[in-house]
Amino acid sequence: MTSAPVIRPALLVLISLAALLLQTMVIPYAAVGTIVPDAVLIWIVYLAITRGHIAGSTAGFFLGLIMDVLMGGDGMLGLAAFTKTLAGFLAGYTFSENKTLQTLSTSRFPLIVAITALVHNQFYFLVSLQGTDIPFESVVLRYGVPATIYTALLALLPMFIFARRVRS
Amino acid sequence: MLKRAYDLLVQFKEYALLALYLLTALVLFAQNTSAPVKGIRSNLLAAAGFLQDTFDFIPDYFSLSRENRALREQNILLADEVNMLREAAIENIRLRAMVGLKDRPAFQYVSALVVGTQMHALTNTVTINAGSENGVKTGMPVLTDHGLAGRVTSTSGRYAIVQLLLHKDIRVSARIQRSRVNGIVRWTGGNELRMINVPKTSDVIPGDVLITSEFSSLFPSGIRIGVISSTRDVPGDLFQEILVKPSVDFDRMEEVFVATVLPDSTRIVLEGRIR
Repeated sequence: MTSAPVIRPALLVLISLAALLLQTMVIPYAAVGTIVPDAVLIWIVYLAITRGHIAGSTAGFFLGLIMDVLMGGDGMLGLAAFTKTLAGFLAGYTFSENKTLQTLSTSRFPLIVAITALVHNQFYFLVSLQGTDIPFESVVLRYGVPATIYTALLALLPMFIFARRVRS
Repeated sequence: MLKRAYDLLVQFKEYALLALYLLTALVLFAQNTSAPVKGIRSNLLAAAGFLQDTFDFIPDYFSLSRENRALREQNILLADEVNMLREAAIENIRLRAMVGLKDRPAFQYVSALVVGTQMHALTNTVTINAGSENGVKTGMPVLTDHGLAGRVTSTSGRYAIVQLLLHKDIRVSARIQRSRVNGIVRWTGGNELRMINVPKTSDVIPGDVLITSEFSSLFPSGIRIGVISSTRDVPGDLFQEILVKPSVDFDRMEEVFVATVLPDSTRIVLEGRIR
């Protein structure tokens, strides 16, 4: 078996909502200081790997938009939608119809998540720090890099699940 | 010509869709405060808040026994404190009457539960299950039993988003309770706040309690913010570097109170004239 299991569109929407709930209700309990992994981004990368650019960027846009609403900050609506769309599209370059399971079940998956998260975080901080005197470099070192590592570590979990599936 | 454009669009549909999404995101970003965008935001918040509220029991289940124990301990300490404060309040009423000072207005509070947490490095917010139907409005301060937690930045019928003190955009006019030294509290990352604009000659020592000051046009005065954890003289700088440990434990915040008081618009207008 080389392809990941096919998931129906309705189920995709349900899992997307579950990822949002997980991100806002459970993951904050695993925060290290204010560093949290991005479960929604992992789900977007998964969709991009298994379905390509369109699925990745579409999921990125809509899930990012909901996250923007949940963040509720003045003047920030559209920022997460922008960065997650870019991230989803970027991850779509790793889509290969016959090798999805191979990608998901090996270290390639957390590596793709890490690269995508790093790009996503740089864009996010670059825009959100405009108008403040907080230096970009210190934020990237203090939050961007640790959050990327934490997200990549969380991506090991689905990787092990898929690896087990391949073995069995 | 049209067919050629259509063929091109189909051929590069991924890029066309990417451009459409990015453009929409940018338009939303530029139109953040317009009425239609606020309306969409309010409706989306209502839907997301409902979902978060429905599944709110998940983290509660794991933390219930720990919370019970902590509350019992806190109850004993608070009972002692109430006795002392009662005495002080009686004395305060008598003294204020003697000098004819104006009473500080008492606030009405709306209690709410935190039903969702959105942490994103520098922009940390929570969703609470009280909204415009409960009298909550944008700009209202949010407190816990320990002190100031943040302010409401967005509402829907039954839900509201609270911008925490751990947010890059928040500024609070603060005063040291003991020495009455004023400054501004802000957050630049980490678990602590910073008090800025305090000259090196000012009387500040670790352990001092920090409260909101009358200079704030956003928050009522007298609300506890935190305790000063360290001070440092930075060579070549006019001001001290002061770190503050917030009174509120943002990781364990479950119940909050929204003070139904809005910033005084007449004061903001008046102060705006002299800027």
